[in-house]
Amino acid sequence: MSFAKKTFAAAVMLAAASVALAEEAVLRVSAIPDEAPTELQRKFAPLGSYLEKELGMKVQFVPVTDYAAVVTALTSDKIDMAWLGGFTYVQAKERGKVVPLVQREEDTKFTSKYIGSVAAGINSLKDLKGKSFAFGSASSTSGHLMPRYFLQKQNIKPETYFKNVAYSGAHDATVAWVASGKVEGGALNASVWDKLVEAGKVDATKVKVIGTTPTFYDYNWTVRGSLDAKLQKKITAAFLKLDPKNPEHQQILELQRATRFVGTKPENYKGIEAAAREAGLLK
Amino acid sequence: MLSHPRDPALLPRLGWTLVLLALLAPTFVYTHFNPALLLQPETLGTLGHFVAGFFPPAHEAGFLLEVARETITTLAVATAGLGMALFLGAPLAFVTTRALDLPMSAEARRHPLARGLRPILRGLMIGLRGVPEIVWALLFVRAVGLGSLPAVLALGLAYGGMLGKVYAEILESQPDGPTRALTAQGAGRIQVFFWGLWPQALPELVSYTVYRWECAIRASAVMGFVGAGGIGQLLDTSIKMMNGSEVSTLLLVFLLLVIGTEAISALARRGLESRYGSGVLAAAVATAIGASLAWLWPAWAAAGADLKALWPFAASFFPPEMGAAIWGDLARGTLETLAISILGTTLAFAGGGLLALPASGRFGMPAKAATRLLLNALRGVPDLLWAALAVLALGLGPAAGVLALALHTTGVLGRLFAETLENAPPLPEQALLAAGAGRAAAFGHGVLPEVIVQWLAYTLYRWENNIRIAAVLGIVGAGGLGQQLYLALSLFQEKTAATVIVAMLLLSWLAEETSRHTRLRLAH
Repeated sequence: MSFAKKTFAAAVMLAAASVALAEEAVLRVSAIPDEAPTELQRKFAPLGSYLEKELGMKVQFVPVTDYAAVVTALTSDKIDMAWLGGFTYVQAKERGKVVPLVQREEDTKFTSKYIGSVAAGINSLKDLKGKSFAFGSASSTSGHLMPRYFLQKQNIKPETYFKNVAYSGAHDATVAWVASGKVEGGALNASVWDKLVEAGKVDATKVKVIGTTPTFYDYNWTVRGSLDAKLQKKITAAFLKLDPKNPEHQQILELQRATRFVGTKPENYKGIEAAAREAGLLK
Repeated sequence: MLSHPRDPALLPRLGWTLVLLALLAPTFVYTHFNPALLLQPETLGTLGHFVAGFFPPAHEAGFLLEVARETITTLAVATAGLGMALFLGAPLAFVTTRALDLPMSAEARRHPLARGLRPILRGLMIGLRGVPEIVWALLFVRAVGLGSLPAVLALGLAYGGMLGKVYAEILESQPDGPTRALTAQGAGRIQVFFWGLWPQALPELVSYTVYRWECAIRASAVMGFVGAGGIGQLLDTSIKMMNGSEVSTLLLVFLLLVIGTEAISALARRGLESRYGSGVLAAAVATAIGASLAWLWPAWAAAGADLKALWPFAASFFPPEMGAAIWGDLARGTLETLAISILGTTLAFAGGGLLALPASGRFGMPAKAATRLLLNALRGVPDLLWAALAVLALGLGPAAGVLALALHTTGVLGRLFAETLENAPPLPEQALLAAGAGRAAAFGHGVLPEVIVQWLAYTLYRWENNIRIAAVLGIVGAGGLGQQLYLALSLFQEKTAATVIVAMLLLSWLAEETSRHTRLRLAH
């Protein structure tokens, strides 16, 4: 017993120490896991050290494996800033006070791609009637909400139109499922699709694009509402200062797949919110 | 040979088998289960590539360090969770067991504690253990955030309900002489318990607790699939990324963990037999729980999980969603769950029956040892883990659930069937063989009638269990109600989630009743 007591006491001290550490100025940042965890870390590393330099404080990336957990962490002040999708931003806004700061220029006119299996002879959404179909994560804007919303605009209710609706969890996983023939069609983020094509990770003999959605507002960097207003301004300024002509900045922008960052505001996401209500994903 | 001319029962038996197979047809439709898909070149290619990656298992220092850390976390979660379950279950059993009021008079039964509180506590325990631990984990992940804390809370609640019920039953099954004698002397409830029941019930109580600890380790190892830490979390990532070498390391570690646990629990059971054994055991348990909490605490403190968030979270589930829109989804999910459980269990009945023949030693010792090893491996991997792997082979959807249930249950039933075969009286078969019957006919008429009722009873038991599992397999993408629950919780639609959970509970209750009635009829 005394051993247990000692270790317990040691643990409490350790815990107290770690809490004390957390009180130093650290910006805790996370992101929705729309791609593989290792890819997220790789993408964030140079941006993290840039922010550390610009803000004069430690920046810590907290990996999270679940979309909804990022929303909860931000609205319960466990993290300070998060890379959210349009839909996860709306979910966060419904559950607490959050402030969207910046987004990539690309996010102001984002699209999703519908893809189909070549082997199954899929050339259009019509060919997918009675076949199986994969969205990304259920909480994804470009992998689920908007592709679903635009399907419904064409009078396609996925649950009855397709034989089987599955959720792959992430955009790259959706492509892998269609390529391996496990599902005949799917929908994903156009930007991730382009990246996979450029990197030669898509086999054109197996997967093809069969449609593109109209544009919508997507991803942004959002902070918790209780974060110091001056710090919020500094973060915004740091993002807006990123200049594609500066080689060091260029590397960060390239990993973020951004030409540059622009400011954003809650009004930009009214459309997403309305679509979510219409698709029955927000009640 | 099956077509032995002198087998009079062959045609009717074949006929009945065909009728049963025809009855199974709808389950193939609902689950889209197509065994041929397993043999498609693309599937074999994906799987082959994945399995080829198993060798050599991943062994970079960084990865191994992470595996070691998460393995300790898995052990600590199981131990701390069981500690919490003990804390919850033991008092519940003490208050609700009928063993202590057997000799009491009408006066005791009028006691408000017995009249009002007990049915409520029994209902509470049914609720606690009726919701599968992985569902509890999913709920707590939403309520208090990712990490090992939700896993401990989930195990604590689900197993608390189970321990409460089983402890009460163990106490009730003890001979009541000492209890009566002590009550007659005027001893109170607590005195009767410690002097009349505790000494004789202890070995059984410990034995069951140790068994639950083994279960807790297996459960804790898959909690990571919903983001609740441990080696399950690493497995989830490695499977999603199709990293074969990491998966093989993790599977090896998992099997070692299961074997290690079985050795420790055997030791614990033996410990009770010696004089000081129980003292040592009690000290070891207390130390293990303390050490587990000490290991987990820093992460909990750093995450700053506040349990106060639990109340508003729980409140958000009420009232459950009853709108018209939900019923179609719910009906589809329920049918899918039913079909997965029926088809998976039937396939396992066939697989288990076939493997039981060599496993009972009918084809010599080497075949027996090899089949037993196979059965142990099938059984040792939890259903949820099989489901995550089956998704790779058959894609997301209910078909993966069928394959997962079939594989795991084949392991369970194969072993039980083999034991039944070994215990069956050998004389009828020997007599038939001596009279010149073929081997198949001798088996079909000498052995099968002896074992078939027992086999069917085991299968029904398993089906009851499998329907509960089929309901949660969707959490890893294998269809059924679980997928709807996961969706609803991901989209912050707690009221819809509440309705899905109620549907799960109803379905498992219906399965229990159906299976109980069928087993009663089988016995007569």
